[in-house]
Amino acid sequence: MEFRDNKAIYLQIAEYVCEHILLGKWKAEEKVPSVRELAVELEVNPNTVMRTYELLQNKNIINNKRGIGFFITDDAIDHVKSYRKVLFMEDELPVVFRNIYLLNISFGELESRYKTFVKENFNA
Amino acid sequence: MININNLNFGYSKQKPLFKNMSMRLSNGHIYGLLGKNGAGKSTLLKNLAGLVYAQSGTLDVMGYDPAKRQPALLEQICFIPEEFYLPSVKIDAYIKANAPFYKNFDHNYFADLIKEFDIPVEQKLINMSYGQKKKVIIAFGLATQAKLVIMDEPTNGLDIPSKAQFRKIMASAMTDERCIIISTHQVRDLDNLIDTVIMLDENDIALKATVEEITAKLTFKKVKEIDNSIIYAEPSLSGYNAVMPNYHQEESKLDMELLFNAILAEKIKFKPLFS
Amino acid sequence: MNNTFNINRFSLLLKRQWLDFGKIYLISLIVLLGIVVGFYSYNIPSPLKDNNFDYDGNLDMRFRYPLFLILGFVFISIVASSYFNILGQKSRAILELMTPASTFEKFLAGVTYTAIISLFSYLLIFYLTDLAFVKYLNSHLNAFNRPGIRQVESITNEVFNDEGYRKYCGYFFAFPFLVTSIFLLGSIYFNRFHYIKTALSLMVFIGLASYLVVKFSMWIMEGKVPYHHSYRKDDKDWILLALLLLTSIITIIIWAITYIRLKEKEV
Repeated sequence: MEFRDNKAIYLQIAEYVCEHILLGKWKAEEKVPSVRELAVELEVNPNTVMRTYELLQNKNIINNKRGIGFFITDDAIDHVKSYRKVLFMEDELPVVFRNIYLLNISFGELESRYKTFVKENFNA
Repeated sequence: MININNLNFGYSKQKPLFKNMSMRLSNGHIYGLLGKNGAGKSTLLKNLAGLVYAQSGTLDVMGYDPAKRQPALLEQICFIPEEFYLPSVKIDAYIKANAPFYKNFDHNYFADLIKEFDIPVEQKLINMSYGQKKKVIIAFGLATQAKLVIMDEPTNGLDIPSKAQFRKIMASAMTDERCIIISTHQVRDLDNLIDTVIMLDENDIALKATVEEITAKLTFKKVKEIDNSIIYAEPSLSGYNAVMPNYHQEESKLDMELLFNAILAEKIKFKPLFS
Repeated sequence: MNNTFNINRFSLLLKRQWLDFGKIYLISLIVLLGIVVGFYSYNIPSPLKDNNFDYDGNLDMRFRYPLFLILGFVFISIVASSYFNILGQKSRAILELMTPASTFEKFLAGVTYTAIISLFSYLLIFYLTDLAFVKYLNSHLNAFNRPGIRQVESITNEVFNDEGYRKYCGYFFAFPFLVTSIFLLGSIYFNRFHYIKTALSLMVFIGLASYLVVKFSMWIMEGKVPYHHSYRKDDKDWILLALLLLTSIITIIIWAITYIRLKEKEV
């Protein structure tokens, strides 16, 4: 995994986990990799992964079954979505808005582009 | 795990290297020891291992005084020096001669590491490249299950795939019982592994803080222009890479190289932040 | 865990040191054997040579004594002088000092290799070579064409069958240990060129010491003691005993200094 420069590593790992859940690679009530396994895979300090897992636990995305490990909660997808939504609204949307404003892009144009995008990428 | 109290050290009386240095290190961490050339990174590591003797002050490593060089402590220390010599034998013979000194030596783990590092077992140690030899002693050192792991510039001489293997191995070697101290000036190789930064400068510890503490107090980001809030900045392709106080609880990624240069340049501004 | 001495750990250490030290050591033993054989082949009596006999009319084997002493000195001093030289190289010293054995065990391993193993392997090699050549000579005595020629004895028999030799040899027992202890200390004291530096220091020391002793004895005795005093044999034994004691004590002191140096060695 390539880490970007602009965000704390533990948050980037959280995104990585969320991505896996949203894409269905890790399913509800399945065990997620242990702290050590994920640390080895991502070549990071296990304490960092621990911090990620604590964050995800607080967001009810994973839970800790004592002595067994971390598991994805049954409603993890909803929690991931709301967590990601907050992140998007706070971090990414202001940048998009700034560009929309600076470049004078109309909402009509945005809407049609958005629809084509969804059609092309998600066949919805 | 380690308790340093008022350590004074110098290779000559006129030029002290450490003045009244005190520090506590605990298990469950990977400490990154940073400092300019000659700041005393290797010397501090040697003090911890009992390879050099302090002029005054006390050093406590797992309840022992390292200067006494007692076997009970030595078998709990894995010291990977920057330069080393390995005898003209094959790995098997080396292990046979050295492993029995360590009660907890894990032969299977050693075999795994050697395999992971892709080291030719049939070759004599003396004929291996520097990087291969380094991988052998890293594998040996970790397989001793020593609680204190001290590495002086471990990624020096490792090629790109080996560096990735090294990071994976260190990530798995870090346990709650272990204290790992790595000195490096190639921060980029290791910055995601290190959880606590120790910086040496001007005969003392200029900074000792966890990555979490640092990013709570400072934010690292790219900016277009320099303003008053910025403590230190370096020009980059698209503006500046800057360090500034973390007013808005931003969660930025610690840029160790930038922090290093910032502390060297603006020591006074950082003092109140981490005291 | 005993942090000073543990016999199991000590034997592990001897094995470990053999890995480093053994190969060079075996090679030097082979070289030693070559030199001894070479000297013997060149010097033993042969029907092709003229002066084969000493003044007693026996085959002349007297070359063995200086050879034994000089070669012995050179061999054991070289071996001793190479033992701790690894500590002079930073790259090797660290792994050496970090090996989980006590300083005392590391010191004792040094003494074992330099004073005991090297000395006994020297004696063994010399003894075996001598025995082989003596056997060979004795089986070819006819070639010398001399009636009443006596068999040659091995150097060990010659020494131990001679009352005079037997008596005085014991007094010099500590000398080889003294030599190895000095060169062992030199190998840890100097970081480079151990042998030359130790040998030079030794020469300077002996030179200085003998000069001072002579000067001092002249100062206290000159004009006070009869110049031609009567020769008394038992006086000499007393001096020899003192010599034995003195060499033993100095050896032990030098070993103690070596131990302290090893303890204080920094890299």
